Amino acid sequence: MLILLGIYFILAISLQLAVGFAGLLNLGHIAFYAIGAYASALLALAGWPWWLCFLLAGVVAMIFGFLLSLPTNKLKGDYLALATLGFSFVVYVVALNWKGLTNGSLGLPGIPKPIFFGFIFSDNFNFLLLTFFVAFISYFIIRKITSSPFGKALEATRDDELATRILGKSTFKIKSIALMLSAFFAGLAGSLYAHYITFIDPSSFTLTQLIPIITIIIIGGLASLKGTIIATIILVLLPESLSFVGFPSSIVGPARQIIYSLILLWILIYKPRGFYGKVELE
Amino acid sequence: MDIFLQLLINSLIAGATYALVAIGFSLIYSTCRFIPFAHGGVLVFAAYALYFLFSILNLNFGLSVILAVIFAVFLGWLLNVAVYKQLRKRKASSAILLIASFALLVLLESFILLLFGAGAKTFDFIKVAKGLEFFGAIITPLQVFIIIFSIFLLWLLFFFMKKTKIGKAMRAVADNRDAAEIVGISSEKIYMWSFVIGSAIAGVAAVLIGLDRNLEPTMGTSLMIKGFTGAIIGGIGSVPGAILGSFLLGLVENFGIWFLPSGYKDAVAFLILFVFLLFKPQGILGIKKNC
Repeated sequence: MLILLGIYFILAISLQLAVGFAGLLNLGHIAFYAIGAYASALLALAGWPWWLCFLLAGVVAMIFGFLLSLPTNKLKGDYLALATLGFSFVVYVVALNWKGLTNGSLGLPGIPKPIFFGFIFSDNFNFLLLTFFVAFISYFIIRKITSSPFGKALEATRDDELATRILGKSTFKIKSIALMLSAFFAGLAGSLYAHYITFIDPSSFTLTQLIPIITIIIIGGLASLKGTIIATIILVLLPESLSFVGFPSSIVGPARQIIYSLILLWILIYKPRGFYGKVELE
Repeated sequence: MDIFLQLLINSLIAGATYALVAIGFSLIYSTCRFIPFAHGGVLVFAAYALYFLFSILNLNFGLSVILAVIFAVFLGWLLNVAVYKQLRKRKASSAILLIASFALLVLLESFILLLFGAGAKTFDFIKVAKGLEFFGAIITPLQVFIIIFSIFLLWLLFFFMKKTKIGKAMRAVADNRDAAEIVGISSEKIYMWSFVIGSAIAGVAAVLIGLDRNLEPTMGTSLMIKGFTGAIIGGIGSVPGAILGSFLLGLVENFGIWFLPSGYKDAVAFLILFVFLLFKPQGILGIKKNC
């Protein structure tokens, strides 16, 4: 459970980079997560060392981020949301149907646990340390990025694209890099997930998976890293109490989605900037 | 030749159902200016309401249909008042409304999942009739009815938008909200009407689709995707455009099977959407606006 918390945190903070800082309403984040998971799983099953699979998962997702940024660069708001949603859906359908590569709906079983210089992260505690380590590094890098001059340029692009262009910045490049970085970390999160569960199938990467992550970044507040941390902890742990009470999983699944969507609606209506947010979506 | 005709008929059936979804979507989008994902949720609720009334409570079929459509209208109205109106009150951007409606879609689908389970449901109202031979292609009487009825409904809506006072006011708000308010049209009232009419059409679409195929909790999302793809291809905010786009989508999807495995049918819709968003975001019949 705490491992999932770490994975959700990496996903949320990377989406925060795209949505909160760069102002790109990306509804295709789950696709990068899926791409990372599949890339890492396939490479590991082909016998590649874990650390290479892990890094390549990020790189492959990043390449897709770049490819997605090319056509969508000029789109804004609603249209960008639809296009990225479309991307996410296409990735899902391909994962489901390209049976030769992904084994379709049967999924890929037997993904090995990470081995790093002879050390096997087989039990949950070791894996937890690994996840938290990656989460911490991701947080550190993203914080560095957002407080750097590049981060300022990102926020400037979000607030006023034209003005940023007048100042001689290439907003095309800025937005593209933001999406690539965001995709990179989502790919890493996907890799962690694949090696933790050791089994992936397309049903882990449906559109509904997006709701918890969007809820996290909006509750925490857009463009706030501190808010993202707090919101991840609250939102991942809260629905877990349902499983403790002892409801069967056929109820817990939908009930969790209901809780997330209700929280999201409530926050959008009454506290649109979340707890630590600086900006609102436009 | 037989295959060609069969695919053509399949395209028409798909196009007719997509058109019904696209129209409701387009109506709400053109006046309220945000992407109402929750429209798919209303549809799936109406379909399950019909299932509940007819198959579980064993009510008369006609009565169940009427109640299901009324239920859809009520739900659409409720979403507008309880969520969208509150958001508009504080002048939320269309991106916020979009996320809210996405949350509503997931909320509605999860409720269905909780109440009825994930399994597919059928009505058993019309025994699967033997298909009619039609120049070598097979079509069931129900499917003929779906096509004719949707064309009738679309014609009715077209007439409503062109001739009635509310229809004209809706087009005025869609065109320029401020100017419409100046001449005394209450935009809130028009939003309400868009949701009521759009949801009623969604209710009818739910009945027709439910008769033709199985019900599943996730059907709302997939139909919504088809609906807005149809609406965007044809030109958002244009009723004839949405119809044209939906039939076009039906054609491309069904004829795409010639080149691609059938599992990719759903991806085709999005690829077309993608192409249109990039090169012609205003659609075939749409008017160019700032987007």
